[in-house]
Amino acid sequence: MYAVETQNLVKRYGKFQALKGLDFTVNLGEIMVLLGPNGSGKTTLLLSLATVLKPTSGTAKVMGIDVMKQPTAVRQILGISFQDARGFWRHKPAEILDFHGAMCGVKKADRTPLIEQVLKELELWDARNKLFMHLSGGQTKRLEVAKLLIQRPKFAIFDEPSSQVDLRGKRTIWEQILKLREAGSTILVATNEVREAEFLADRVTILDQGKNIVCDTVRNLKDKITGGDIVELELDQANGDKEFQEELSKIPGTAKITPVEENKYKAYVSVAEAWVPKMTSLFYQRKIRVSSVRVTEPSLDDVFLSCTGKKLETNANA
Amino acid sequence: MRNVLRLIWFDLKQELKPPVWILVEWFIFTVQLFIYGALISRLVTAPEISNYQQFYAVGFIVMITFDIGTHTGRHFVEDAHEGRLPYLLSLPISRIKLFLSIALQGGFELALMLTVPLAITLFLLGNLAVLSVAAAIITLFGLGFGVAGLMLGLSFIAFKSSDMYTAIVTGLSTIIIRFSTVFYPLIFLPQGYASIASISPLTYGADLVRFLLGFDPSILLNPAYAVAVLAALAVSTLGLGMVLLQRLVEGVKSA
Repeated sequence: MYAVETQNLVKRYGKFQALKGLDFTVNLGEIMVLLGPNGSGKTTLLLSLATVLKPTSGTAKVMGIDVMKQPTAVRQILGISFQDARGFWRHKPAEILDFHGAMCGVKKADRTPLIEQVLKELELWDARNKLFMHLSGGQTKRLEVAKLLIQRPKFAIFDEPSSQVDLRGKRTIWEQILKLREAGSTILVATNEVREAEFLADRVTILDQGKNIVCDTVRNLKDKITGGDIVELELDQANGDKEFQEELSKIPGTAKITPVEENKYKAYVSVAEAWVPKMTSLFYQRKIRVSSVRVTEPSLDDVFLSCTGKKLETNANA
Repeated sequence: MRNVLRLIWFDLKQELKPPVWILVEWFIFTVQLFIYGALISRLVTAPEISNYQQFYAVGFIVMITFDIGTHTGRHFVEDAHEGRLPYLLSLPISRIKLFLSIALQGGFELALMLTVPLAITLFLLGNLAVLSVAAAIITLFGLGFGVAGLMLGLSFIAFKSSDMYTAIVTGLSTIIIRFSTVFYPLIFLPQGYASIASISPLTYGADLVRFLLGFDPSILLNPAYAVAVLAALAVSTLGLGMVLLQRLVEGVKSA
């Protein structure tokens, strides 16, 4: 059984089609990251799974339960941290978490110490008695995440969990999400931040214009880019031998060899881990000494560019 | 059911810390009744109305009931526009219970708001049977639910334009209150005016409450007819609101 399974899922807002027949799965116990620019359908998919929006057609199941046929049963095993935490203007963080925990069936005896622990871990303890409307953007975002850490649902959804949060806060939130997975939750995270996806994902699904473009582990996605890894080589001495360069470019997985200086080369290869030992062997045979080797991996932004022809980071804030 | 009460209390307790708006409403009622009501009752004299101040007090209570019903509808729209509705829709309770909590919260607010005005009015009227007072209170709640349902039903406009919703609700409220028997009996109204007033839900609410509180039945609508209209209004508008919540709210981007 999948934690999430959608088949031919369609959501229309009037004439606009936000999801275009989406087929998508999340395995039990994994962290799946949905990566895509704004308007790619990420939030629509999350809200459909959370039964906040009703899909136009197709099927969607959470832990085997149909979101359209048994929405209340789905809500009992699922929790969602929204992109924007709003609407509790005159409530205090501790009250909001207590209410949320109570609504989700967390017993009072467990709730009180858990709220204290989570507020401290997310650095909200000092702000626990401030009104929601007086919290900073980062604090409201952390509070939104805190709801799920109190609830500990079987299936947790985070919509851009660390947007508006500073770097230290981002790291704290990501670590808490990993802890939640360790405690047994299956997690779905939507983001347009490459670093967030790389830190959290067991697998990544790239969405663009309401369609599932590709889904795999971060490693496999990067390896799929031909010439995505860049190996920078520095030799002890200059080597202008054309034959040597040709031999280098014949190593399997080489996309291109570019001389940078007389003793420096850039090799664009598919999988650096496989390419570097072969390169080392060739250099050993030719008795060429290498003074440094530097490997640069492609980012998920490069993966997105390779899959869609568009840059993710540019679109993210468009 | 515990979660329904939790939802209601979560919001309601904020409005009671401190209950400024309720105290202000009570103050306005008292000032209106004992200054304006007392003065106007010296100008209005009719054999069918022995004391216009009493007639006016009941009318004012019905108007407060209408305001709270409207407020419940507006509250729902604000939830949608402030981004709280998606959160409420994601909570592990059924849509029926969520809708019930919205309606009941309006009911509790109404109960709080009416406590002092009703006590003053009953004191002014004096010598009333407990059963009559209970029936009048039930009527007010029925009217409140009907108006709240009507406003919730209209909330779909707010998903297109909140300005248009505000304009329509304000305009409609003005017409519903002015063209009704809240402040003047139907038989005293000119023909055209009376025709419009006879389709206002407040006419039925005000006349039924006055009948139950012992006003002259000759200036009021048939109470059985008023009960039927108010019951139909509450059931139909709350039903419409429920359908809209399921069909519309889950189908659009609400925030």
